[in-house]
Amino acid sequence: MANTRFAVVGVPGGRRVDLFRAAAARAGLPDPNVISWRDVLAGDAPIPPGSAVRVDSPGEDAEVDALLRGPGDPARAGGGAAWYAAFRGGLRNLAEAVEASPGSALLGDVDEIAVMFDKRLCHERLRAAGVPVPPALQGPVGSYRELRELMTRDGWPRVFVKPAHGSSASGVIAFQALGARVKAVTSAALPDGWGTGTDGPGEAGRGRRGGAGGASLYNSLRVRTYESETDVAAVVGALAPDGLHVERWFPKASMDGRAFDLRVVVVAGAPTHVVVRVGRTPMTNLHLGGVRGDLGRVRERLGTAGWQGALDVCVRAADCFPGSLAIGVDLMIGTDWRSTAVAEVNAFGDLLPGLTGLPGGPGEGLDTYATQIAAVSGGWRQGMQSRDIRGEGELSCVT
Amino acid sequence: MTEHDNPRRHVCGYRDRYADLPVAEFTGEGDPGKLPEAGSVAWRLSAEPYDAQEGAFAALFARFMEQVDTSAVRAIVVGGWENPYEVGSEVAIRPLADAAARFPALRAVFVGALQSEQCEISWIQQSDVTPLLEAYPRLERLEVRGGTGLEFNPVRHDALRTLRFESGGLPADVVRAVGQCDLPALEELDLWLGVENYGGNCSAADLDAIMSGERFPALRHLGLRDSEIQDEIAAAVASAPVIARLETLSLSMGTLTDLGAEALLSGQPLTHLHELDLHHHFLTEPMIKRIQDALPGVQVDLSEPEDPEDDWRYVAVDE
Repeated sequence: MANTRFAVVGVPGGRRVDLFRAAAARAGLPDPNVISWRDVLAGDAPIPPGSAVRVDSPGEDAEVDALLRGPGDPARAGGGAAWYAAFRGGLRNLAEAVEASPGSALLGDVDEIAVMFDKRLCHERLRAAGVPVPPALQGPVGSYRELRELMTRDGWPRVFVKPAHGSSASGVIAFQALGARVKAVTSAALPDGWGTGTDGPGEAGRGRRGGAGGASLYNSLRVRTYESETDVAAVVGALAPDGLHVERWFPKASMDGRAFDLRVVVVAGAPTHVVVRVGRTPMTNLHLGGVRGDLGRVRERLGTAGWQGALDVCVRAADCFPGSLAIGVDLMIGTDWRSTAVAEVNAFGDLLPGLTGLPGGPGEGLDTYATQIAAVSGGWRQGMQSRDIRGEGELSCVT
Repeated sequence: MTEHDNPRRHVCGYRDRYADLPVAEFTGEGDPGKLPEAGSVAWRLSAEPYDAQEGAFAALFARFMEQVDTSAVRAIVVGGWENPYEVGSEVAIRPLADAAARFPALRAVFVGALQSEQCEISWIQQSDVTPLLEAYPRLERLEVRGGTGLEFNPVRHDALRTLRFESGGLPADVVRAVGQCDLPALEELDLWLGVENYGGNCSAADLDAIMSGERFPALRHLGLRDSEIQDEIAAAVASAPVIARLETLSLSMGTLTDLGAEALLSGQPLTHLHELDLHHHFLTEPMIKRIQDALPGVQVDLSEPEDPEDDWRYVAVDE
């Protein structure tokens, strides 16, 4: 692919774009053309001919967020349905622009990206392919009352409630209920004056019960606990109109008393980069207080077969998205250290600055961006079956 | 790299070792011929807490009795039973108690060894655990996780050496019943008292019988911890008769402040202790230094300091 020049769709000046540009520079490649999401959303983003087009996140930019969700406080939670509709529009614009550009190709299939940003569709695609996922509540969940009814029907006391179009645990609620006793742990926060929830450790003062009426949520970097049905109903009620996906709780394995999951980046069908995310709360996301854990200990505890089996699940999840050069799989290991389940598949899940790949694999010594550049240089094309370039030898170690 | 079985700390997995034995999970699946020798491990029996059917634990236990030489079993770790959120632990305790004649060597039982990912401590539905002591007069170690629904009745038991209740809220009735037991062999008593919000409603007065130590002549380790009235407990400990014969004392995991520590230091001598565990505390630096200076020969654990200025003090484990 000697004549290819990379282009990256993202937020100009954002760290994701800069990390990719830096990787290209280290590979001795010309500086990638940076295509702004703002222009893509406006339908005004021509793609230079001969581009290999990387699609990155439109996040972390207030102006783009306003274009996607409509004007408002960027910290507000919700608005996922509007965001998704506008995002899909942008993806369509992008596909058309690439189509119109001679010799250009996407490194991320736009329809696959759209599936990954609808947790209901993504869950169904994985489940249909035999990738282990927690079971999901069937039927629309339009309110707190409906959530409780469906949980009772299925006999599930503990669930994860996920906004269909959220990312980065935005609006996710770890919820358990027995009769009137409820507990919801979430980064979605009711505004001051409404909540009776308790803030995390170290936070003085508890919220006050506020006036009646609907509550508008905002995203918090602190995970909160709500134990009153009124509060939980307000949180669920505020998120439900944008669509909810509810999964049964999958009890995660713990290290040193703290639950963890794995973020596994799969590049061109090979698992290349892995981090252990250890949480103090049910959310392991690093921006919500999660920390990177010791991968060596996890591997040792899993054993060779368990580790290979875990990676194989991630590869099978990635095989559901053959048009995507890289995806980030959030893999949960069960408390028995044998069972596994995929919690999320992230279209833009490769933001792991400074992390080099697994030794012996295609990402060894490279960060996630350099690994993708190497895969494209090595001939990766959209729709290619991953095993074509992964090689038979690596497949044989997976059972 | 393993989760160590260390009851002095609150990070307990019980997954690898229990009662000085490696833990082996009995799943009822696989070749019975490949099971470890019955007396060489602590057997963990656990029904999957989320989709197990009614009677799942009893069925698992029945298979266990078919496949394992129960006469040699020394330790059993009961993990979960079917839906421990709603169903009380009696579905596990009753079969275990009823089968006592088949387990002449059983010396250690843990009930409710569930990690919070499986079922948070104060959501585990416990039940009356006394039948285990009544059915197993030679039991040396009984440990229970979870205070919700927990009941306990005063008993006399001549063999019990360790009694531990881990909870996010231990009912006062249970605390008083422990104090009314006659446990002549008891060496270690450890109570996680928890918070009122999760059913931990005991007052310092409810601990009087335990503090007297009259019914536990062999007691050497006492843990009264994870309490939101940790200062009051420390003050009571300062004059408690039982303290003189202890080797280790734990007032850890709770909301201990300078107030409680001051009372502790101004009370009876503590210099005879081997260990004083105060980890997870709200003490100021000067008080930490005073404690260290006052107890030079004692191994004092002052780790996990929390902010003494914080208006909202919390215990280590509640949920």
